[in-house]
Amino acid sequence: MAQLRAELLKLRTTRTTISLLAAMIGLVLTAVVLHGYGLTTEDLDSASKQLTLLAGWGVVLGALFAGLLGAMSFTGEIRYGTIRPTLLVTPRRGRVIAAKSAASMLGGIAFGLAATAVAAVAASVALTARGVDVRLDVGDFALLIFGGSVAAALWAVIGLGVGALVRNQMPAVVGLLAWVLFIEGQLIDNAPDLGRLAPGPLSRGISGMDPDILLAPGLAALLLVHYALAAAAAGRLATTRRDFV
Amino acid sequence: MTHGPQNHSVIVGVLAVLVMAFLLGRGLLSLLRSAQARRRAASAHDLGSPVGGSAPSPPTAPPRMNGHGGGRRHRTSPPSAPDGAIVRVTGLTKRYGDFVAVDELTFSLDPRTITGFLGPNGAGKTTTLRLLLGLADPSAGEALVLGSRYADLDQPIRRVGAVLESNDFHPGRSGRDHLRVLALAADLPPSRVEEVLDLVDLGPAASRHVKTYSLGMRQRLGLAAALLGDPGLLVLDEPANGLDPVGMHWLRTFLRSFADDGGTVLVSSHVLAEVAQTVDRVLIIDRGHLVADALLDELAGRGRSLEDAYLALTAGDPS
Repeated sequence: MAQLRAELLKLRTTRTTISLLAAMIGLVLTAVVLHGYGLTTEDLDSASKQLTLLAGWGVVLGALFAGLLGAMSFTGEIRYGTIRPTLLVTPRRGRVIAAKSAASMLGGIAFGLAATAVAAVAASVALTARGVDVRLDVGDFALLIFGGSVAAALWAVIGLGVGALVRNQMPAVVGLLAWVLFIEGQLIDNAPDLGRLAPGPLSRGISGMDPDILLAPGLAALLLVHYALAAAAAGRLATTRRDFV
Repeated sequence: MTHGPQNHSVIVGVLAVLVMAFLLGRGLLSLLRSAQARRRAASAHDLGSPVGGSAPSPPTAPPRMNGHGGGRRHRTSPPSAPDGAIVRVTGLTKRYGDFVAVDELTFSLDPRTITGFLGPNGAGKTTTLRLLLGLADPSAGEALVLGSRYADLDQPIRRVGAVLESNDFHPGRSGRDHLRVLALAADLPPSRVEEVLDLVDLGPAASRHVKTYSLGMRQRLGLAAALLGDPGLLVLDEPANGLDPVGMHWLRTFLRSFADDGGTVLVSSHVLAEVAQTVDRVLIIDRGHLVADALLDELAGRGRSLEDAYLALTAGDPS
């Protein structure tokens, strides 16, 4: 518990967290506005399309940036050497990973809430401005925001696991970006049966997007929970087994 | 998203470029900032004032040790292992593949002494300290602090204070916040943060980001972190790096008072002249082997300097 409070204070005492949050919100706005004006009205004439192609960017980017937050909570300590004082105070490394997981989850929830709320508002404004009826109802928005927050919380833990395994900040961050922005898209397009089981598409599934291809929210959440648990376990193992020099 | 339009992938591409641009921009910005900081440091140096300017130069203040070793007065009774040794290292070995960094090292530290840990670069000093503090696992042997492995100590920061690198700080976090984080993790009261800041005379600079600190200030912030838990054992790796003569004098006075107060100090260094003035006892390590374990007076003296002894014992010996 003491370590968790320390990890939360770490998140609050540098500009990293707030910069990531600001960048995420900026990108959500950009993505929703670009799509809101770039897509034809036929591409936006149903609730499912409006969710998947427009508001869903909040889920994708919320999960991605939560993942970055989780990864950087570990790689940042390696980069600046603060991992040494951290481990001198708390030499039980499993406890450090557990605290970082919990702190990242809380941060991830905040990121997911912010990203999906901004996306919901921006999508509604963009559609209204183009004179397209908003087909999404309260239930859709609720699932978007709730599902996006759950997904981001789990993605933060996945990111932490990746960060603890990779340790080096640049490869961890670039790897996460490449995975979400390129590899998962290729998987979904070329091998949807496999691609929908990847963590990014799962987080879209949690928010009720694209039900023809993606898993249903409950199942998607269950699978993503297992990914998060596996990532945390792998990160814990890598942290307890390997030396810190 | 199979039913997405053709321009969908274009938009994804634009987003990816934006993300990359953001990250690259941040990277370039930080490069720019560090270049500025270097320039500022250079010009501040020319003017003979500390980096960052406005705060008063802390090292010139006298040590705040008012006869009682500063913050150590509410320390719990000095703990010791059953046999009286504070640190007991037995057959400690660390191998990296075929390379043996530390080879069958055996020594112990007694209370109330300052022990200098000397050796050429790459001799295994830092590795030994990492093994002692649980950051790395030994290949063989053991290193015990107060009779237990460091990782098994209950609240180790209340027993052992350590500074391993002079720059283990996030540059964008203030010195005070760095200490607050550690105090929270160790369940120490926030008042303790102010006490140690006072002890190392960093109070005026505590709210500034660490990136504005001079190397000497970073050394003192590291020492403040080590003192947070009011420990009985200090382990310092090259603490003299970056200290000016005043800071050096301050550190020496501080360590002496710490030891006189019942504390134990293990300090690695390659500045022999400095060590000769500070330590009671000397351990010399060369290529992973312990080549000397003696009181300073035994090793140096009677016309022989510590440097002579060191050169004779290590690879630096020309003969």
